[in-house]
Order: sequence, then structure tokens, then C-alpha cells
Amino acid sequence: MTLVHQRRQFLRDLGLSAAALPFLASLPSLSFGRTSKAERRQRLIVFFSPNGTLPDEFWPKAYGDELPLQFSQMLSVLQPFADRSLVLKGVHNQIMGDGDNHMRGMSCLLTATELSPGNIQGGGETPAGWASGPSIDQQIRSFWQSREETKTRFGSLEFGVAVPNRADPWTRMCYAGANRPVAPVDDPKLMFNKLYGGAQQRQLVGSVLDLVRDDLRRAERLISQEDRRLLDEHLQSVRQLELDIAAAHAQSELVHPEPEIDPTIELVNDNAPLISRMQIDLLVNALANDMARVASLQYMRSVGEARMRWLGVEEGHHSLSHEPDNNEAAYEKLKRINSWFAGELAYLAGRLAATPEPDGNGSMLDHTQIVWVNELGKGNSHTLSDIPFLLIGGGAGFKTNRALDLGGVPHNRLWLALAQAMGDKELQTFGSARYCESGPLTLS
Amino acid sequence: MFFAGSCLAMGSGLWLPMVQARPGIPSDDGAQVYQQKCASCHGELGQGVAGVYDPAIFGERSIPELARLIERTMPEGEPEACVGDEAAAVARYIHREFYSPAARIRQGLDQPLKVELSRLTVPQYRNAVADLIAYFTPPPEEVRKAPGGRRRQRDRENPATDPTPTDELGLRGEYFASAGMSKANQLINSRVDQRLEFDFGNSVPFEGLPQDQFAIVWEGSLTARDTGEYHLRVTTPNGARVYVNLDPSSGLHKLRDDSAAAGQFPLIDAWVGSGTEREESARIFLLGGRRYPFRIEFFKYQEPTASLRVEWKPPHGVWAVLEGEHLTTANSSRTFVVETGFPADDRSLGFERGASVSPDWYSAITNGAVAAAEEVVNRLPLLSGVQPLSKEQAEDPAAQAARVQQLQDFVVRVATVAFRRPLTAEEVELLRTKPFADPTQSEAAVRQAIVWILCSPSFIYSDLSPTTAPDSNAVANRLALTLWDSVPDSILVAAAQTGDLTSTANVEQQAWRMLQDSRTRHKLQGFFRHWLMIEQRDLTKDTTLFPGFDEAIIADWRRSLELFIDHVVWSESSDYRQLLTSEEVWLNARLRTHWGITSDPNTETDSRFVAISPDANRRAGVLTHPYMLSALAYHNNTSPIHRGVFLSRNVIGRALRSPPVAIAFENDEFPADLTMRQKVSHLTQDASCLSCHTIINPLGFALENFDAVGRWRETEGGHLIDSRSDYETENGDVVPVSSPRDVAELALQSPAAQRVFVAQLFQHMTKQVPAAYGPEVLAQLVDSFQADQYHIQRLMVRIAVLAATHSGEVQIQEPEANQ
Repeated sequence: MTLVHQRRQFLRDLGLSAAALPFLASLPSLSFGRTSKAERRQRLIVFFSPNGTLPDEFWPKAYGDELPLQFSQMLSVLQPFADRSLVLKGVHNQIMGDGDNHMRGMSCLLTATELSPGNIQGGGETPAGWASGPSIDQQIRSFWQSREETKTRFGSLEFGVAVPNRADPWTRMCYAGANRPVAPVDDPKLMFNKLYGGAQQRQLVGSVLDLVRDDLRRAERLISQEDRRLLDEHLQSVRQLELDIAAAHAQSELVHPEPEIDPTIELVNDNAPLISRMQIDLLVNALANDMARVASLQYMRSVGEARMRWLGVEEGHHSLSHEPDNNEAAYEKLKRINSWFAGELAYLAGRLAATPEPDGNGSMLDHTQIVWVNELGKGNSHTLSDIPFLLIGGGAGFKTNRALDLGGVPHNRLWLALAQAMGDKELQTFGSARYCESGPLTLS
Repeated sequence: MFFAGSCLAMGSGLWLPMVQARPGIPSDDGAQVYQQKCASCHGELGQGVAGVYDPAIFGERSIPELARLIERTMPEGEPEACVGDEAAAVARYIHREFYSPAARIRQGLDQPLKVELSRLTVPQYRNAVADLIAYFTPPPEEVRKAPGGRRRQRDRENPATDPTPTDELGLRGEYFASAGMSKANQLINSRVDQRLEFDFGNSVPFEGLPQDQFAIVWEGSLTARDTGEYHLRVTTPNGARVYVNLDPSSGLHKLRDDSAAAGQFPLIDAWVGSGTEREESARIFLLGGRRYPFRIEFFKYQEPTASLRVEWKPPHGVWAVLEGEHLTTANSSRTFVVETGFPADDRSLGFERGASVSPDWYSAITNGAVAAAEEVVNRLPLLSGVQPLSKEQAEDPAAQAARVQQLQDFVVRVATVAFRRPLTAEEVELLRTKPFADPTQSEAAVRQAIVWILCSPSFIYSDLSPTTAPDSNAVANRLALTLWDSVPDSILVAAAQTGDLTSTANVEQQAWRMLQDSRTRHKLQGFFRHWLMIEQRDLTKDTTLFPGFDEAIIADWRRSLELFIDHVVWSESSDYRQLLTSEEVWLNARLRTHWGITSDPNTETDSRFVAISPDANRRAGVLTHPYMLSALAYHNNTSPIHRGVFLSRNVIGRALRSPPVAIAFENDEFPADLTMRQKVSHLTQDASCLSCHTIINPLGFALENFDAVGRWRETEGGHLIDSRSDYETENGDVVPVSSPRDVAELALQSPAAQRVFVAQLFQHMTKQVPAAYGPEVLAQLVDSFQADQYHIQRLMVRIAVLAATHSGEVQIQEPEANQ
């Protein structure tokens, strides 16, 4: 089966066609009647790709307020969103302490605080444990969940693509608090169950009830008159369940698209492109249904060795990222890899842009802040400086269509600016307080 | 109660006045005597006489019991007028004509009962789903040794150090030297560890392990005694993962910082340290009477010290370090457990049975079916033996069709085990076609088929032909339900297929085999909880009066009671009388300390119990077990009424009516210097109370030498305990009773005591009343119980065989010829 074919299959299994999805998601009735609220809805999506970028290919040629943003060739797929993008150079992850740069790069990226001392040995340096504070997405989630106007069913949803089944500082970037990592769900089936499990189960049960009724009629012939009472009760219960299923279906028909059949995608490396699109579709749909206003999408993990054969790359990503800049073959492959990530980001941004905001005011992208992050600035130097931060969308209300070189500021200040822009005006420090002395970055 | 409806006549022992018997009539003819001395009050057929004595007389008493009763009490006010042969003749006459259940059916006074159609009870449903999936799960040894995909690879330096196959208490521990990220780098040594509490300090458990980095993997099984929530807790400054009920068939080979056990989700993941000692806990719902695969991974890396403690809190238990009897080095397979909550089963007859169906219950059934289908689909290659198609095969319609066919075969096999019978041709056809409409969606088809099978009446009902003569499959089904609350295992299925279950001797042989299974033991524990009335009791006490009587002690006493019962029932003599008369009490180290007895650290720990005989000659089996005495007591005092009601109903076997007025016992309303006996006597002095309390109180008072936590006492508040009363038996005999041993003796002399025990056991096993199998069945079982020297295991086998082979025809014996 081709990828395209499999993707259609998945959507069909969900009971959705590709064309219907944005349409369904954008119906005003999908949003639990929240549209009347006066407050402007805001959302946050953290988009993670690992192992550093290629600085020369990532950073634009020109910086400043007045120049329109021009993406380099590696990121050209994002050019349609340039007017809604903000590139931030010179923002460093300055968190020190235990753990190697991959560990701190990953687990201090969104937490901006030190790792607890621990027992996990990285490549050199001292062993370390989990981050010692919450991540920015979870910080904003808690703030929104604490207020009735911004509270949602899940608060946040953590998606993953090809994240290995283990929990350690290289695989976790989201933290609910000190030493409390939040696991991304990298199985679309599990995520689908989490979002729509009730409806899916109703569908499955509903599909056998007619058969069960026939069984009951056959059984009735076998038993005595006195024993019919129990089977009658049984038939009534079946009927009741059918009515319940029909009622639940009617109630949720527009809100949650119902699946037809269970998808059976295998969670293997080669399926990553397919899984990525499934996850993005589920993510956009969940946000459109206002099940959550914070989401993250984590590709692989720090030090991830994904073999992106679908790009013609046979080597593991992390090993490639160690190659010196003058290894042209490796360089070209890393360019392809980062282009692919940019393409997935463009797909996400495009889906949001194509979905009208439920209040009729612009598109979902106008109300959503996507932040593309990476645990390293550059793969072969393991630097935590110049993390490639790329922001798309209007969620935070930052001024877009520009690239800024901030010259070397702690990334704590970026997260502080984001939290305040998302409404948490009281927050004065985030993560390690000593990096917050100059206050939030000014990005509006 | 099994004699519901008859308690007025036979339970209270109150037979109202009769007219004067005329003297001088020959007494060898029961009919004649009855006409002369009884019929004017009781009517021609014992139906009663309006205004004179209304209630009909019928019941379960045997002829000798009846004769004794008549001799002692009848005619009312003049019992000496009908004694000896005359009383015996009347007893024979009324028993045959209208008193016994069989007589009433012959006279058309009662309809014969029949085995009722029943659905599976909640425990039966849970067990049946678990064992249905287990039926298709290869044994762990096979999974580990089989070639190809099912092989379990392990990083072993030296396969010769594999643990021996002999099962022991504890877990197999393998101790590895680590090298950076590679935790299980080199196997240094292995041993069986009995207690999961280790403090290695800054040292190493074995010579040859590097002091700064080593890892340990423990494997074996966790034994769950009760069904319910199990909490587990890990405390360590290092790294650890705990897996419970994992699937040992999946790869577990890697133990590296940068890779997890593939496909396995730890119940507790405390792998990553944070520089301090951490405590992580989780809970899991398990079915009792089963073993679950259990694995712990531990590593130290550069931390100053190494320690690990793994504790659990089982249902009815308290937090305790996992050790000894709860752990075994034996391998086991994953058991699928339906966690869905269910509405409680019908208990209107005093025992749980599947007599009702509600939308809530049905909804729970479907939830369970969906969860089970998920399990089957997730483990499909293992359970079905059908492998997924490769990419190339997936494009090949022939390969696709072949796989669909294999999966169709699989769901037909599942249905055969689930329905406990061969499928009809129509059923096979439906199963093969309905779910498998789309050949590209075979997993979804399997899912739908499993949900269908598990929602089908053929699975959900215990027996869709309860009143027809059983074929071999039905016999196997009934045996499994009666002894295990589950579906037949492969041995039973094979026996059914080869026709081995057509002879009673073979059925009995199977029952004896099945008796040894831990599921039977689990089921029997449920019976004892019911018979001893200890379900959902609050045992907490006033700790100023009873210092130290805390949750741990309560949990220990519960365990002690269970151990005592197990010890009696599963011993060779399996003697019911031992339950009532044994002087043994089982104690662990904590209970010994609680009782102020020096413990022997060599034989006792908190998990190891040893029997002693305290308070010489004063203990009487379950009657004086501290758990019973505490459960049947107030929080600050004894309760002769609670104890007396339990003894009357379930030990002596006397029916009691509900109290005519509900009177709460308020300890504070009595002067402080009264004894409990005086308070209870005062409270129950009304005539309306006394009809039952003349039975209840003497039995309760006989236990007054044991306080509210089951300790022996001579005095109460400065008064010497007076435990002596005169007790009037059902037959009108007056017997002095002053101790639990006297009560036990009463029970041993009373056929009614054995009837209540046999009937309750019968109901617990079959979920039907004995009379559904025939009016004489209970009496016959009691007779054989006595003849078998009160052998409980034999009784269970008799019940199982009787239920399994019951033809559906209720046999009414012709009355014995009059002598």
C-alpha cells in the first residue's frame, strides 16, 4: 500500500474523509458552546525535532523589524507562512548542572531549569535525573485549567512520533512539575481512544447487537417457559443499550467524528511519515473541538537514531548529526531531514490556517502559537546556544513576518514572554529565576 | 435460608396446644396416633387448623429428629402422652405423608423446584474471560523455549547459570556487573531472594560486582490470594522498574539506559533517579487464586548507596514488604483481567447467583467484551499462532485470503471454548462471514468476532439447557463452573471430546483433579467468608481499651483464620469437625508480640505463620478464632447477640426470624457496673424477643470468656464471667452450655448444623438451591457427609458430580413401606 493510500485508509477508519475533516472540525457546534465567550481564544503547540539543525541553512540572511521574512531553501516549504512567522536567533539554553548536553538540551528546553541529580549516565559529564520544574507548556496548561473561561477537557495533549518506549531525560521534554515527566503518546490508536474512545467502543458494540439478538432468539427456543423471564430482561437490556448508543451517537455526531473501523498501523520506523500525519490530523481535530488548548508534538527524541529511509537516508539521524560540516554527503542528508521536519510543520500550520476559528474570526492559525524547538543549536557541536526557535501563528500576538537576532539571551525570558502573552501576567520568573532578571523578551 | 417459608413451624420450635390425647389406643400405627393425638390441631395433612394452630408443619428434619421432638414436646402440655415407639411411628407417618419436602411434592402441596436458567455471576464472568484467553496462551516454558518468533532471547554470558527449574518461594535474582549504559553487561551470580528488601549500603551484594555500578533482575510470579485492588510501592535511591502481569512472550532482553523492555509497560517506573530516596506506587486489579508474571529491574549507578524495598498492600491487607509465600520462582503466563465494574449479583436467597439481567450489567458485559477483544487483537500472533503479513504478502490476495481463513479458524476455536460446546453449522457459518466482510480488515474482524462471542448468551449463561440430561460437554461445563467458577481447561475439553465424561467414575476423577487447582481453593475461601459471616465487617476497636489492635493485627488475624481453614480443609482428613473443635491458632511474629508471646525468629516472620494451642482446652476452632470473635463484637465490648445469631444460624443451624422490633444496643444507657450478659438479658426480656433469644443468648453467653478482640478473660469489670446457661435444643432437650466447646459439641450432635453447612456449600458451588436437584438431595448429601467422616473435600466432589450429571428430572422417591 502506498502512503497516500494508507492515510486515506486511516481517515476512512476514523469515519472521516480528508476533505470532511477540516469542515467538520470547523463547525461552530463542535466547540461545546464556548463561542459566546467574549475572550479571544488562544492555543499553544510545541513542535519538537531533535539533534540540532544546520545553522547556515536555518537562519535567514537578514534580521530586523522592517524586512519581510525570507526563509532559506531548507525551510522554503514554510514560505507561505512567513508573514505569520517569527524567527528568534541568539536565544540560548543557559541551564548548567548535571547531565550531558543532550539531556539538558531536552529536559531543560521547556523547563528552563536544572536537572535533579540522578543515575542516568549520558555521553560524558555527570549522571543526572529528571528536570526539577514544570515545562512551559504545562505551566500555561495549569494556568488555563485554573480558569473557568479557558478550561478544557484535557487541558493539554502530548503527541509523539516514533518516541521509544522508555522514560528518561532524553525522551521527555514536558514536565508537570519537578521529577514529573509527561509521556507523549506516539500511537495514534491510543490517542484516538483517548479522544474518541467512547464513541469507538459504542460503534463496535453496536455492530454486534443485532447478532446478539439473533443468538438470544435461538437460545429462547432451547429453554423452558419459566426461564424466559431472564432472556426477556436480557433482550430489554440489549434494546436499552441500543437506544443509549443511538442517543450518544446523535449527541456526538457533529462534535466527535465517529470511527468506522480500528486502524492497525504498526509503530515502526518506516511508518513515521504516516504516523506523523495521523497525529497532526488528530491534534488539529482535538484543538478544533476544544478538547485542549495546549498540545505538543515530539518527533523521536534527543539522540534519536531514526532512519529516514523515506528520504533516502539510511544512516541514523543522531550519527549523521555528529558528522563534521565538511562531510558534504552527511550535510545534504541532514538538510533533507530538517526539510522534512519543516514540511510536517508546514502541514500542521496549513491545517490550522485552513480551519476557520469557531467564533468566525479568522483561522485557527490566527489564534494558535506554534513554537518549533530543538534540543541543540547544532548537532556536531552539541551547543545549547542559538537554539533554532521558529514561531508561527497569531496565538501569542507577537509581531511576525520578521527575524530577530537577540544576541544571546537566556531562553527563560522567551518562555516568560510566552506565558505572559498567553494571559499569565502575574508570572514574574519561569524556570531558574536567575536567568529571568531582565524580564520577558519584548516580542509584540 | 434453604428452608425459607417453613421457619415458623420448624424453626421456632413452638408447637401450640393440642387437645388431650385419649388414652388406651394402641400406639404402633402412626396414622392412627396422628388422628387421635395430633390432627385436631395440625389438620389431616399437617396444614393446621384455623384458630387453633394455623401454621402448616413441614421441614427438613429427619425421622429420628422428628421423633425426638415429638417425644419431648408433643402433645403440647402433655409430652409424656406420646413417647417411645408411638412417637417414632407418628414421626415416620408425618414425614412420609406431608412433612418432608418430597412428601409435600407428592401431595401436590409444593411444586418441585428446577434448576433455574442463570447467567454467569460476576466472579464467574471474570474467571471465564481470563481462562478463555489463557486457553490460547502458550505456557511460559514453551514461549521461552520454542524456536522462532516465540523465543525469548536473553543476554547471558553463561547459560549454565540458568536457575534450576525447581520452584521455590521467592524470586530468581540475577546479579549483573554494569558498564555505563549497559546495565546487564556481565552476569556475576544468581540466587533466590525471598524478601524484597535490600540495603547494600555502599557495598555490593556479591564479590565481583563493581561497587559503583551493578544491576539486578528478579523474575518469577506474584501470588494473588484475593480478588481486588493490589497496591505496589517501590522505595529506592537508585533505579528500578516493576512489571506485574507482563507478557513474558515479548522480548525482555535488553537492560540498557537507552532501551526499555520492548513492548512491556512497567507498572512502576522509577528508573530515573533524582539524587534522593524516592517512593513510587501504583495499583492493579487482580483475580484471586492465581499467579501473575512478576519482574523487577534494579540498577545502581554512582550513587553513594544502593537499596531497594518493594512492598504491597493486597485487598484486606496492610503495606508489607513482599516476601515468602506471596512470591514464587515459578514462571506463569499473563492473565487477562476484566477490570470493568459490575453491579452486584442477586443475593436475595442468601447466596450470589445469576438470576437477574439489567441494562447496567449488560453494559458492563459489553465493556468487558471490548477490553477482552483489545487484548486478543494486541496479542493475536501469540494467541492465534497467525503471524502478520509481510509487506509483500499484504499485496498478495492469496496470502491475504489464507490469513483470513486462519483467523476465521481461530475465532471458531475461541467460540467453541467460550460456549463450552461444539458450534452448530449455522454458528460456524455466521462467525466466518459476518465479521470478515472486508479481507483487508482482519484484525477489526477478529475484534468484532470476540465482542460478539463474549456478548452471546451461549457464553454469558451458565447452561442454556439446565433441565436436560447433559452430554459430555455440558458435564465439563458444569464441573468447571461448580469447582472453578470458570470455563473448562484443555484437559476437561479433551475428556469431553473423547467421551470420557459419560461415566460417573470418570466425572468424579476429574472433580478430584480439579479440586487441587488454586481456583477451587479460592472459591472455597469465598464460601467460608459467607458461612462465617465475615464479609464486610468493621473490626476496628477502641484503641484505649485494646491497645495495638490496629489494621496490621486485623489483617494478620484474617490471614490466620484463612490459614487455619485451609489447613483443615486441605489436610488428608479434611474434617468439618476440626473446624469447630481444633485448639490451634495460627500466629505470625507480629501476632505473637501482640499476645505477649515470645516469638522464634527462626520459624516466624510477619508472613510466616505457625500454629500454637493457646489457652489450653478453651479454644474451639473457628468459634473462638480472634478474627471471628472481633468481627462479632462491638468496638468497645463483646456482642453476645452477634455471636449468638451467627452460632444459631450458621453453626447450629436454627432458623431465626427477623426481630419483631428493632432495638439498638446502647451501651451507655446501662449502669456501668452491669456485665454484658446482664445488659443483654435486660434488653431481650420481652416475650416477643425471647422466642428467638432463648436460643441466641445462651450461645452468645457461652463465648463471654473471650473479649472483643478474642482474648481469654476471667472477669469483666471486676465481675467473674458467668458463661453458663441452659440451652433448649430444637428437639426440646435442655442442655447446659458454658463454653465454646459446648457449642461445638451441640453442632456436632445436630443434623441441622450439618444441613446448614452442606446447603450453604452447595449453594456457593452451584448457584442453585439443593432442592432444585430433588427434594431428597440435601438429606442424602448430609447422610453421605456423616458417612464420609465429615470429609469436606469428598462433600465438594459429591456436590460437583451431582450438579454435573443431573439429568434435569427431579426424582421423587416413593415412600418407604410402612413397617
